[in-house]
Amino acid sequence: MTAQSVRFSDERLANGLRLIVSEDHLAPVAAVCIWYNVGSKHEVEGKTGFAHLFEHVMFQGSGHVAKAEHMALVQAAGGTMNGTTWLDRTNYFETVPSHQLELALWLEADRMATLLDALNQENLDNQRSVVKNEKRSSYDNRPYGDWFHKLQEHVFPTEHPYHHPTIGSMEDLDAASLEDVATFFRTYYAPNNAVLAVVGDVDPAQVRKWVERYFGDIPANRAIPALGDMSLPAVLGAEAREVVEDRVPLPRHFFAFRAPVLGDPRFDALEVAAQILAGGKGSRLYRRLVRDEKIAQDVSFFSLGLIGGASIAAGQATVRPGIDPAVVEHAFEEELERLGREPVTDDELVRARALIETFELEALQRTDERADRLAMYATLLDDPEMINRQLGRYLAVTAADIQAVAAQVLRPDNRVVLTYMPTTEAAAGTTDEETAA
Amino acid sequence: MTLDEILSARPSPGQPRKYEFPRFERTVLKSGLQVITVDVPNRPLVSANLLIRRGAADEPADLAGATILTARAMSEGTRRYPGVELIEAGERLGATLHVDASWDAFTVAVEVAASRLGAALELLAELVENPTFPERDVARLREERLNDLLQVKADPRRRVDQAFTATIYTPDSPYSRSAGGDEESVPRLTSEVLRATHRTVLDPLRAAIVVGGDLAGLNVPRLVEEKLGSFGGESAAHRVAPAVPLAASAVDRPIVRFYHRPGSVQTELRIGHVGLSRSAPDFHAVQVMAAILGGLFNSRLQMNLREEKGYTYGIGAGFDMRRGAGPFSVRTAVQTAATVPSITESLLELRRIRETAVTAAELAAARDYLVGVFPLRFETPGAVAGALGGLFIHELPDDELTRYRAEVEAVTIEAVQQAARDHIHMDRLAIVAVGDADAVSAELKAAAFGELKVITDELPVSE
Repeated sequence: MTAQSVRFSDERLANGLRLIVSEDHLAPVAAVCIWYNVGSKHEVEGKTGFAHLFEHVMFQGSGHVAKAEHMALVQAAGGTMNGTTWLDRTNYFETVPSHQLELALWLEADRMATLLDALNQENLDNQRSVVKNEKRSSYDNRPYGDWFHKLQEHVFPTEHPYHHPTIGSMEDLDAASLEDVATFFRTYYAPNNAVLAVVGDVDPAQVRKWVERYFGDIPANRAIPALGDMSLPAVLGAEAREVVEDRVPLPRHFFAFRAPVLGDPRFDALEVAAQILAGGKGSRLYRRLVRDEKIAQDVSFFSLGLIGGASIAAGQATVRPGIDPAVVEHAFEEELERLGREPVTDDELVRARALIETFELEALQRTDERADRLAMYATLLDDPEMINRQLGRYLAVTAADIQAVAAQVLRPDNRVVLTYMPTTEAAAGTTDEETAA
Repeated sequence: MTLDEILSARPSPGQPRKYEFPRFERTVLKSGLQVITVDVPNRPLVSANLLIRRGAADEPADLAGATILTARAMSEGTRRYPGVELIEAGERLGATLHVDASWDAFTVAVEVAASRLGAALELLAELVENPTFPERDVARLREERLNDLLQVKADPRRRVDQAFTATIYTPDSPYSRSAGGDEESVPRLTSEVLRATHRTVLDPLRAAIVVGGDLAGLNVPRLVEEKLGSFGGESAAHRVAPAVPLAASAVDRPIVRFYHRPGSVQTELRIGHVGLSRSAPDFHAVQVMAAILGGLFNSRLQMNLREEKGYTYGIGAGFDMRRGAGPFSVRTAVQTAATVPSITESLLELRRIRETAVTAAELAAARDYLVGVFPLRFETPGAVAGALGGLFIHELPDDELTRYRAEVEAVTIEAVQQAARDHIHMDRLAIVAVGDADAVSAELKAAAFGELKVITDELPVSE
């Protein structure tokens, strides 16, 4: 099984926009993906949640596009689109039938060039309300809903840009003003702060012409403020613990560790380690905690790659009824520590590599995924060629690499243990006390 | 030209590239098992899905959950591979074998490099034909399901879905239940019950395997005959007549069922009734109507409740079409204070799509989306194989997918309105909510949406 390499061109317009084009005519599909080098890490105190609120404003119209018309035009063209915001970046993407590619490029150019022409208080207030409902439905009204925000708080110190959640706080969302939106746009939504990837059933020469036409005259911002130093000590230094009482039926532990940054070979080793620890029914944590000892309802372990100082490695285990949560915590931690003490077996490594290879090949089949990865590697690592090297890096990870990264990362003085416990006020059982009204 | 002049001119589309849904072939083996192959060249992975038209809707009420638990338990060990050995053997091929069941079908799916298809099919056959259902592991899976039911009660979204189907269907309808079984049925699901369920499922006359990918140089029917030729075997004797899923409505007037959860910051809402089966003759008109109402990003419900009022992060509506009549529902979560206005606006949109014709622009938007996005949906062999599996499960004609775009293009404004009038029933809408009833109680009573019951739903606690 060999991965076909993704061939692409990589250039910059005079205004600094980085353009990556990859031609592939297997399906009549074209994907456009634009990554802006701005995320929630760029937010300052009192303005949390702003990068994400701004992403919503990007769908409220621009100079030549009415409110919500962006979606209408893409869908009527037979395409799909969305945008997402994360700690390190904000991205926007459209996947369209290939003969509609020019429309997608024009839409992205129009909002990069003229967003502020359409900005008004009514649209900002509307999307503020939508985002507050997103926060309620994704986090506040969900059992165990704020686990990641709590882990962030412990893994990154208060003054660090990864300390606060991307969704922000209700108070800060309330405080966001039109002036904030305009300043944010002028500062970060400039061509020299973006990577545009165009992938699929496209003619690269035509793509270049269109991109030059629609984006070429958008002025650069030569004064994008640099982020401060985000570097961190490799480990926390001491274990952090928190217990949360919540309306949950079963206790659940979440674990987090400060980990090497994305692009560091040790991060690749950690991803292979995560597969061996919790990737499916053949994995160590599943076998021991769920299958053999029957103390956990479910387990997981994964890493989230970041570039500013440290990534997060995290895991969880839901405690079965009647089991002491401490027993589950101990077993989980023992498996993580064992990984640092003794090498994984050859068979474990063979299985993990084979599965990772399938996952990678599966993901890269899709045009939109290739566009996303090219833009990601260019934005975060200044190295789009990583799209062709990543699989090889995973396959090159050895048992010694895994043991070394586990010993460095998965240790008690680098550990956050967050435990959700059922609220004691909850009464047993469900009463069918019906009040007809 | 200035940038503004350049951007003022909207681009027009180029010449669309011709697209046709990939051609597939069907071979019927001696056992009756159908082999459906579809060549999707130049893809490194092959998808193989075994489908059996027997699902949770076919099981008796007292054994609710047996089909899904059987699916889960099949990876707990086979005659040749006890414990997790079969899982491990699959992993060495880079393959994960997914066994699952829905209301309509039992499925075993694997994705693997073409060169390893034979080896993967051998494992798939062993998993399907020789599971041992060790009681220790079955007991664990039963407990996991019961624990999951505790989580359902605590999660407003899962709770409202469960309450909604239990409200709209009569209690003897399979669709009123949770497909995974409930607190009463799950303890009955012993190894013996799962073995019997497994024998019933293994019916080659109700089964097909769909294989999609770059099949150059592979004789898939022969490979399947070799690995799965004896599939079913003696089990044929255990075949039972298919039960027609009973999907009777328990609701004959507008009702409100409000599950009170003090302090909720949002209300989870489901509004709807018993809907349609996949065999609905006006399927394409229904798809277009549902897209305009609540399927598109710019659907009427989204534009009203999200983009205008800001009550919600998202609202959708649609028909869950199964072999029997699955639910029609409007689905959203809204901030507590907007609960009653959100119901009012949702009802207004349901009434509006029935009573007034959609505009030509709305029709064009929905139609062009469904037609245009069709090729995007089938980029990978897995997606193509999945769609062909759907044809088999629902016993649809072979040209269903090749006809799809022409059928959607032929839908008219009148057909959309007819579909709304025929399939949205204002007189038996159930409004089911999970949220803080106290906070909205007076407003809710005044709105008089229908017969109102407030149910105090306390949180479960594990011992």
